[in-house]
Amino acid sequence: MTHMKDPYFIDFPKRIRDIQAEMHRQNIDVYLGSRLRTLSWTADAFCPWRSFVAIPSEGLPTVFTFVIDAARIADDSWLDEDHVFGFAPMGGQDQIEQIADFITDLLKNGRGRIGIESGMSNYLPEGFLTHYEYEQFAAALPDAELVNAHTIIDKLALIKDEGTINRFREASLIVDIGHQAVFDAISNGGYKEMTETEIAGLAAYAMRKAGSEWEWSFTGGNEIASGYRTGFAGGACTPASRRKIKAGEPLMIDIHSMFKLGLGDHAHNYLIGPVTDRQWWHATNFVDIVKKTIDTYRAGITPSELAEQMMGFAEERGFADYMVPGFEHGIGLMGDEWRIGLNDGPFAYWTNPDHVYRENELLICAMQYACPEENIGFRYENPIVIHTDGCEPLSKYPLGVEEIQ
Amino acid sequence: MTEKVKYLSPAWRDEAERRLSSELPPERMNLVTSSMANIYKDCPDGKDRFMFFRFEEGRFADLVIDEGQPPKAEFFITGKYDTFAKITRAELSAQKALMTGKLKLKGNMVKALKLASLADRLNKVLATIPAEY
Repeated sequence: MTHMKDPYFIDFPKRIRDIQAEMHRQNIDVYLGSRLRTLSWTADAFCPWRSFVAIPSEGLPTVFTFVIDAARIADDSWLDEDHVFGFAPMGGQDQIEQIADFITDLLKNGRGRIGIESGMSNYLPEGFLTHYEYEQFAAALPDAELVNAHTIIDKLALIKDEGTINRFREASLIVDIGHQAVFDAISNGGYKEMTETEIAGLAAYAMRKAGSEWEWSFTGGNEIASGYRTGFAGGACTPASRRKIKAGEPLMIDIHSMFKLGLGDHAHNYLIGPVTDRQWWHATNFVDIVKKTIDTYRAGITPSELAEQMMGFAEERGFADYMVPGFEHGIGLMGDEWRIGLNDGPFAYWTNPDHVYRENELLICAMQYACPEENIGFRYENPIVIHTDGCEPLSKYPLGVEEIQ
Repeated sequence: MTEKVKYLSPAWRDEAERRLSSELPPERMNLVTSSMANIYKDCPDGKDRFMFFRFEEGRFADLVIDEGQPPKAEFFITGKYDTFAKITRAELSAQKALMTGKLKLKGNMVKALKLASLADRLNKVLATIPAEY
């Protein structure tokens, strides 16, 4: 566990007490978390295998994970080995029986309310309880009531503490090192014969040398797109391919780092020379709208207000046809990469367009410019911290679209 | 000792204690401090029994065989008498019994894995006791 003076310190025992206070208010006896974001937020450890965290009404939580990773998680987490259990296909040790037994011991005569995490997400590793798991837990805990309670975590995790923000700051510094390594490698003809996968790898190598734990995005790690792949209609997901970088084409570099579960995510764009006037026109449009978006983000604004203003600007300048009309996605400690705010919008489990941003919310300022008919597109992503009078972009890599000779 | 004693009887318990004390010195038990209770369901007389072991810094400290609730232990292993008897007779490995669900382990499996080889040593000693089941 990090020390309070450590810039990356997070008061995890306080987080647990805050959850328990809310459980008490909602008459929940045990909270059974299964989402990756909940595991990160409560255990301070990356849990790549199916995992659960059982939080009693008082005292420490216990993590349950696939046995092959339990000792490592106990080593990484602030929790000791008595609070990290491994499950495996053995009598009494499969995840359902082990966790149900554990919860039964916490309940009085097996009776009580158990908070679970049920819902849906576009993010595949979200980790909501599956239908099968729900049925099995319900059968193994016949006298308990299972109630959906993930909003408890969502509310508490919304505003970021200083330690969390500092972890994101460090992850962004690492991403900037990756971008510099890519620039150095592709400059002065270095791009010739280079593939997207190779660029993804050299960025990863530079970031790993700088301390990144992995290229965390489930979209294929580092996303690299060149030529027509930068401009997929309405697209914003480009796992690197074996395509070679070519002269006269755009190149989009969207790389990811992780530092103590804080996530770096920054996209930077190039034009491989020779560059046409039309390509420069697109690039200038893109850079201008990114600047305007960054200047507009602040506490009090909503996603829909911001989108309206930005699309109005794009319309005025004549490039609205090329803008994907979204300017953000959610972000938090590893596993939290989906909607903004809470599940309180008109479409369940999507971002509420009327969510009012508050100070110290963290999000990815994200936008995609795509002109498929001209085989050109650009992407911007950067974690930003919302302040009362503006926002703080965490990646400091200079904004621009550079020509590579 | 060559004459057979009844499995889980007081005589068997005494012999088990003697052999565990003499054949498993603390170093052989990795100086471990732990406790375990085997819970035997459906014994031949229809009753349930438990066998409770405790080691202190590798030294054999306690062996209790009785009916009713076992003392608090770090691990509980529950199964039918016949299953435990097969394991003691080396007809079935404890690992296979666990993996097929014939035995149920309650306790932290990561810790249990660290102690698996010690449990094997213990079972091997118990298997040497001439017993009738």
